[in-house]
Amino acid sequence: MPRRSRRRRPAALVQWAAAAAVYAFLYLPLTIVVAYSFNDSRLNAEWVGFTLDWYRVLLADSDMRRAAANSLFIASAASLVATVLGTMAGIAMHRYRPRLLPLLVITPVAMPEVLLGVSLLLFFVQVLNLTLGLVSVLLAHVTFSIGFVAIVVRARLAGMDESIFEAARDLGATPWQGFRLVTFPLILPAVLAGALMAFTLSIDDFVITFFTAGVGVATLPLQIYSMIKIAVTPEVNAVSTLLMLLTLTLILLASRLAPDALKLDA
Amino acid sequence: MPDARHCRLALCALLCLALSARAADVLHLYIWNNYISASTVARFEAQCRCRLAQDYYSDNEEMLAKLAAGAAGYDLIVPTGNAVATLIRQGALRPLDKSRLPHLANLRPEYLDTEFDPGNRFSVPYAFSITLLGYNEEKMRELGVPVDTWAALFEPAYLKRLNGRVTVLDSQRELLAAALRYLGYPVNDTDERHWQEAKAVILRAKPYWAAFNASSYIKELTVGNIWLAHGYSNDMFQAAQDARKARRPFRIGYATPREGAVLALDSMVIHRSGKRPDLAHAFIDFMLDGRNSADLTNLIGSGNPNLAALPFIAEDIRRNAAVFPGARALGELAMLRDLDHRQRRVLSRIWTEIKVR
Amino acid sequence: MMDAARGTAQQRLTRWTVTGPPFAFLLAFFAAPSLIMVLASFRYPGEYGGLAPLVAAPGAAVQDGGLTLENYRFFFSDLIYCEIFVRSLAIAFASTLICLALAYPLALLIARSPKKRRDFMVLMVILPFASNFLIRVYAWMIILGPESGLSAVLNQALALIGVAPVRLLFSSFAVLVGMVYVHLPFMVLPLYTNLEKHDPALLEAAQDLGAGAWTRFWRITFPLSLPGIFSGAALVFIPVLGMFAIPDILGGTGDILVGNLIKEQFLGTRDWPFGSTLSIMLTLVVLACAAGAAAVARRGAHSDYA
Repeated sequence: MPRRSRRRRPAALVQWAAAAAVYAFLYLPLTIVVAYSFNDSRLNAEWVGFTLDWYRVLLADSDMRRAAANSLFIASAASLVATVLGTMAGIAMHRYRPRLLPLLVITPVAMPEVLLGVSLLLFFVQVLNLTLGLVSVLLAHVTFSIGFVAIVVRARLAGMDESIFEAARDLGATPWQGFRLVTFPLILPAVLAGALMAFTLSIDDFVITFFTAGVGVATLPLQIYSMIKIAVTPEVNAVSTLLMLLTLTLILLASRLAPDALKLDA
Repeated sequence: MPDARHCRLALCALLCLALSARAADVLHLYIWNNYISASTVARFEAQCRCRLAQDYYSDNEEMLAKLAAGAAGYDLIVPTGNAVATLIRQGALRPLDKSRLPHLANLRPEYLDTEFDPGNRFSVPYAFSITLLGYNEEKMRELGVPVDTWAALFEPAYLKRLNGRVTVLDSQRELLAAALRYLGYPVNDTDERHWQEAKAVILRAKPYWAAFNASSYIKELTVGNIWLAHGYSNDMFQAAQDARKARRPFRIGYATPREGAVLALDSMVIHRSGKRPDLAHAFIDFMLDGRNSADLTNLIGSGNPNLAALPFIAEDIRRNAAVFPGARALGELAMLRDLDHRQRRVLSRIWTEIKVR
Repeated sequence: MMDAARGTAQQRLTRWTVTGPPFAFLLAFFAAPSLIMVLASFRYPGEYGGLAPLVAAPGAAVQDGGLTLENYRFFFSDLIYCEIFVRSLAIAFASTLICLALAYPLALLIARSPKKRRDFMVLMVILPFASNFLIRVYAWMIILGPESGLSAVLNQALALIGVAPVRLLFSSFAVLVGMVYVHLPFMVLPLYTNLEKHDPALLEAAQDLGAGAWTRFWRITFPLSLPGIFSGAALVFIPVLGMFAIPDILGGTGDILVGNLIKEQFLGTRDWPFGSTLSIMLTLVVLACAAGAAAVARRGAHSDYA
């Protein structure tokens, strides 16, 4: 026994050091972004002094407010629709094991986003003759969010005891009653986690929104992108910090509701 | 569930917010970044008792792509020459009602009746700019680099002296046009062999350039990081002003190369999808008034096609050849013509090679 | 009997009600657009951008409507596009390897930690992922920028050796760092999920039989973790192949990848058929890589039983 622990310690130390380095690599850049949002200097170069000015500029920026309103509206609507459709897809994939549906559900999640973005652009403009705007962005966001919700719901169903559903059926419950009284309450945490994930994905999405947004619809990521490309000021840091706080809260909530959902064990 | 109810309330609130943003008397203007002064806007809004809502683009291609993708609702757009031709061919523009434009006679005839809109049925000139070289006068004199020729941008002999402090425009047509002019070919040359020659010239000079830059070269010139920049005359004017205001130890000058350059004439056009053509006509006539037209030139040093504006323009700007080119200089300037899709594809590949190699 | 028949009809109704809506939605907004894109890659570009009509107008020149292989011929007629594909594959490969090297020790540590701490450590890996991807890229703009501390220190050190100052930002190096940083959690999570399931008894048995730490890792842990490695690699390799935002923000003019080309065709040159062709080629490359990886995985599984 003592022999084992002594031999393991140097190896464990190296592992701890390596892991700590990776964590530092993960967090340092974000810490810098947050820190410089309070920096009293136009340049993100060195610390000059503490100020809340950039947040004041941010709140006064009407373009930013419009983008934030758009982002919130789109995320709410898209996550609502995606959760409904994704839950249905998750249940369908688990219970009926269809052949084509999993392919349709999972591929948008797995493929490079740019392909989905341009194919939707083509489809909206060429086939539907749809003016790019709020509707096109909404449809696009729902398309890539369904997969995430479905995966989460299906994973939850896979881990559950089938006998409960059989018991309900044997006791004479109609499918709708079975769903409302048995299935839904049991998968509710997964559904909510999926909804939160869909909301987060929608708020954060850049690539697909970039292709399907058209002119009048600015979202926060698009606004941040144009600021990065044209004129970088610490206002970008300020909006980044606030956005991080929002999505952080959502992910924390989601992890409480469905701890297994985020492990990506497809 | 309380969550669902709250969700629905929140959604309703957001929807109401979004819808209420639509005001009544609004003129939607889609225009280049920094292409109209705040005082002009204020004066127009007071005169017409309406609101001017502006949306910006930084590139003709971007504007055309967005309109092609179905962006609607713009009343007035200010595209550059060849883009006007594209819009006319697409049938996207409303013909102008000249009876509502009494100040049309103010315009200089040299800028009317252009190739892209004979008879000015759809467009009215707004302002123009020339794509030329802007430079740090002191540095250029010190290093002995001539500033009235494209050779300063393309000859390694001169570039070596500039120590990499050079930027070029990140624009396919503009950079190719400059190289074609340097080789002696017209800017609208579509011979692919000439394009390959121009590509060779560009690739030979590329290692000496710092960056392909479309927007921040103004700041770089003003600060002194860049000594020679390929860019638009109004941007150079702004750089010169900024440098003077910041009391830099150098001056920014700009000159049209003697081999010739690209003239970009921006015109006001009315889009079919706009809801207020009446306000649009009012705005066009407003901008044709000498005083309002002069506002823009005084602000950004843009070329002015309006005769009536002359008395209102600042003295030093009046003498500037980039703002008021003489007849001979005008002869050396050319406007870019649109390419067909086959040529655009070849150009796109040449541009990719220029970027990558 | 009647009950059974009604039951089947009811079952079928339920099945269609549940499967129908998501299926229809995805068919309309995923499958149809993809097929449209395949079709578009065989069409002519429209005069003002977009696509030319599918059927040529009567009296118009032949090249203004109908289907063609011209776009594909254009793709292969010059090596530049294949070059960019190869470069994208190289960056994707390099990013995957670096992610693997960084993720493995971390995943191993989390898997070997006591159960209480494991969830917290996994959460700490996911949290940076919660921030907007643009923010994470922007952070590296700050760190690698010419005015930053890192640049200053590095260039001072280089000056001591007599090497010219290097530019960290707007370079292939910055693109690689950005790609690794953005995709690291995607490598850690599947690896961890796999490593967590390893039976510690195997390692103890090996140690009892005299195997050293490295041998234990290489002959037991690593082979067992291969499915996790493949999952993680897929989640890094495929997105990196199609990325355009990171080269756009962090890269220099020559650092364009396939994603940038595609974006340029759709939003810049407005050459939608050629953009579709590039997209189809990217899809084929992705499918080929996925098929290749699956084949390797299968062969590996077979050899285990040999």
